[in-house]
Amino acid sequence: MVGKRLLRRSGVALVSLMTFCGTGFAADLVVGMPNWPSGQASANIIKYGIEKKLGLDVEVREMGTLIIFAGLDSGDVDVHPEVWQPNLDSVVKKYVDERKSVQLSPKKVTATQGLCATRETTEKFGIKDVADLKDPMKTSVLDTDGDGQGEVWIGAETWSSTPIERIRARSYGYAETVKLLEMPEDVGMAAVDAAAATNTPMVFYCYSPHHVFNLHEIVELTEPEHDQAKWNIVLPAEDPANWLSKSSAPVAWAPSHFQIAFATKTSERLPKVASFLSNIDFTPEEITEMSYALEVERQDPAAYAQQWIAKHADRLEAWSK
Amino acid sequence: MAFLSQSRGRAFGMKMAACLALGVAVFATLAYAAGTQIFDPKTRKWVEYDRKKARSYYAAHQQVPEAFRRQIVKFRTAEKPGTIIIDGNQHFLYLVQPGFTAIRYGIGVGRDGFGWAGIVKVGRTAEWPTWTPPAEMVARDPNARKWAGGQPGGPDNPLGARALYLYQGDQDTIYRIHGTPEPWTIGLDVSSGCIRMNNDDVTDLHSRVAVGAKVIVLMQGASLYKGV
Repeated sequence: MVGKRLLRRSGVALVSLMTFCGTGFAADLVVGMPNWPSGQASANIIKYGIEKKLGLDVEVREMGTLIIFAGLDSGDVDVHPEVWQPNLDSVVKKYVDERKSVQLSPKKVTATQGLCATRETTEKFGIKDVADLKDPMKTSVLDTDGDGQGEVWIGAETWSSTPIERIRARSYGYAETVKLLEMPEDVGMAAVDAAAATNTPMVFYCYSPHHVFNLHEIVELTEPEHDQAKWNIVLPAEDPANWLSKSSAPVAWAPSHFQIAFATKTSERLPKVASFLSNIDFTPEEITEMSYALEVERQDPAAYAQQWIAKHADRLEAWSK
Repeated sequence: MAFLSQSRGRAFGMKMAACLALGVAVFATLAYAAGTQIFDPKTRKWVEYDRKKARSYYAAHQQVPEAFRRQIVKFRTAEKPGTIIIDGNQHFLYLVQPGFTAIRYGIGVGRDGFGWAGIVKVGRTAEWPTWTPPAEMVARDPNARKWAGGQPGGPDNPLGARALYLYQGDQDTIYRIHGTPEPWTIGLDVSSGCIRMNNDDVTDLHSRVAVGAKVIVLMQGASLYKGV
């Protein structure tokens, strides 16, 4: 893609040459697409929305969040559709506050994250609060591998939230009493499905908006409310050897939110795109619908986005002003 | 559902539960006595379901306890129909169906569980597959020695009527879902790593599953999952 991006800036002669060589025209804009469903839907809505209203050619490309940020910084990527905070506070500080190479849309979607359980787990097995996870007698019912110790899924290995969940588990003390599992979201969610189908207790990392709240009766575990003074997070990228020992967070996540991010260079090159992105105002309900449509109803992200665009002409109009 | 099932007393002591079917070495294990419990609705108690009980139950009923029989169950999931979800802990294999239902089959799993968790796919399938015992088994077991070159498929073959070979990308994982000539072992932790089903069930599953189908292996054994 570096080649394509160079092309975009190098004038007609190079474009013609590369086209002749069969590479094709480069897109005007690259939207990074994360691997979770609402991010996939919104990346495609941004693509088709901008193509329809601003007449630009937009490419959606799947990549991890940190790669997207590096691309926003270098100019290889223009948009990240869903930047979660506080998960990415340190990344936002680096690129938005310090390097000023990335800007955040002023519109925020409110979100939550923490630990969840099936209703059965809270009502029948008495696991209602994170403090209950420190009780080996209670958590033994979460055992799935026969060693007598319960397991808790804390997210996918690649997620920015996962090391923070490990920090929280250590800070609260339940890292000692339950085994923390990291694995792809599909495995975690299928385990919730199987637990719900057999009335078996299960505790897992959860975030909303998310379709699991529409599929099953899910309850968030209670915990001490967020206290920024107690929230000391060092991410593995910042200190690969000692991030866990240097961190402490024995409190709930801060009220979370996510925003669209775009490259400062993009806003200078295409101010109408920056304006459009800054006007996008998805609601939490819309994000849950996106998640459910892609994950549960198996809708194709591109096809879903095109339908969404067709149904929401008024929103597109408002975003284009 | 007359019987529920749960697993207990199993611990993982090896890096990977290797599967007899492919002739891969089975490593030494520190496993405790494997065991399953089933819920008896008459006494309302969890009772041990071990090899002896399983044999006598099968002899008396000519089938496994109800929990482990093939049945359609309510199963709300985001996974699409045709996906297989394996819950080794509860000894169930789900084949996702439309309308938030699944066909649930009883399974027997390895003495050490499945040994891993993750997402794989059905890479290929076989009817009445040949079984080749691992070299170690050939060396120690005279009964296996005669099949060192491969036991042809048939009613006495340990792989039973059908085998589904699990792949990660284009790579064979060495794990299989297969049939068994010992149907009373369904619900137990007895094999050397693979997922076994009775021959009727594996034949039914085989008839419904397409090569390429997604297979999700749940967290039982996930302590061995990379990164944990």
